[in-house]
Amino acid sequence: MKNLIKKELGHYFNTPLGYIITILFAIFVNFFFVKDIFVVNSASLRPFFLLLPWFLLIFIPALSMRSFAEEKRTNTIEVLLTLPYSETKIVLAKFLSIFLVIIIALSLTLSLPFSLFLLTKIYLPEVFVGYLGSTLLGLSFSSLSLFFSSQTKNQVLSFLFSTITLFFLLILGSDFLSSYLPRNIQEFFISLSPFYHFQNFVKGIIDFRSLFYFFSFNFLFIFLTILELEKRD
Amino acid sequence: MIILSSVSKIFGEKKALDKISFKIKEGEIVGFLGPNGAGKTTTMRLILGYLKPTDGKISVGGLDPIEQRVEVLKKIGYLPENNPLYGEMKVVEYLNFIASAKNEKNWQKIAQTVGLSEVLNKKIEELSYGFKKRVGLTTSLLGNPNFLILDEPTSGLDPLEQEKIRDLIKKLGQKKTIIFSTHILSEAEKVANRLIIINKGKIIYDGKKPKEKGGVEKLFKSKIKN
Repeated sequence: MKNLIKKELGHYFNTPLGYIITILFAIFVNFFFVKDIFVVNSASLRPFFLLLPWFLLIFIPALSMRSFAEEKRTNTIEVLLTLPYSETKIVLAKFLSIFLVIIIALSLTLSLPFSLFLLTKIYLPEVFVGYLGSTLLGLSFSSLSLFFSSQTKNQVLSFLFSTITLFFLLILGSDFLSSYLPRNIQEFFISLSPFYHFQNFVKGIIDFRSLFYFFSFNFLFIFLTILELEKRD
Repeated sequence: MIILSSVSKIFGEKKALDKISFKIKEGEIVGFLGPNGAGKTTTMRLILGYLKPTDGKISVGGLDPIEQRVEVLKKIGYLPENNPLYGEMKVVEYLNFIASAKNEKNWQKIAQTVGLSEVLNKKIEELSYGFKKRVGLTTSLLGNPNFLILDEPTSGLDPLEQEKIRDLIKKLGQKKTIIFSTHILSEAEKVANRLIIINKGKIIYDGKKPKEKGGVEKLFKSKIKN
């Protein structure tokens, strides 16, 4: 497994693409939060965390689009699947390597809570839970993007399908769409959205239903990706 | 031993293999011949468990390539058709990766034997076709596999390099079971000790290699015409 993760991380950082995507993510996220911080005059990181899903919506599909699509296009998938590794290990290695890149990307935003902590008082446990939620959200975006990457040879298609699906899932949990839905199905749709569950973490709440949601979401898409690899048609 | 019993493979509506059966014993070097699209690569991929058969049974060293895929792959070295490689990796990184997967500690020695020492620190995408082929061949030898499956191992190489690879296959064949596909009939004549000819998904010849010079070509042409 370590060998596979090392190879996957090499794919991100042997080419400039991985660096560019990660650094752009950090620059944009930091900028969009900092530009309003003195206007809002609030020492909370909630606006930052609420901004994150919309950046992760682009960042994670851009990172994951290559995972299987490129292996299929160049046929290196044949090399990978004829090595003595199970499909589960192959998928988990790709998933965990994206997890490590997410951790690196999120750690590039740690200057924000650190600066705020020096300037004023912020409630650190809330910040910690916010980062935990952001990591869980990032992981669920990764598992869905991995699944779409396993469906095609085309990276661009993989990126588009992932981004569009994640966009709809995000707006399911926002006020925008819920106001158009009949009240009786509103709650059901909202509960399907990762944004809704993420909001609990932003408030500093670790809700076990939300933990269960993220766990199930990842399990479902990792399982579907493994099934796709096992098809061998 | 590799055993295929009544194996069929259907892609969509196309029958790629139609109830093929054969047994390959330890120490045999089998030349797998047939025109393009005959089913050679499909057969090789089925033996590896890379594809699932639509019907029939396959056994590799007593194991099922689908149910015991990982165990089977520990026993097989494979050079795929078109030799796909991770171009952005350096040769040394790639060989390290495959060697780790196959639990091979002595990969430097194998790389040296195949003639890769001078390009170990180069990126794979910068290598010539011949060197890329050598990288693919080296990876197929890692992990001391009992079975070698080589899909057109000499295609695209110059005559000198072809000769070197043939000699290597012959040498390896003293200890391992080898199946190799080729379009070069003289190659099969020089290297193989048994021939399997496949056409339109059916085995049309399975037997010893003709002893006379040019015999393989005559045999191939007569079988394909029929």
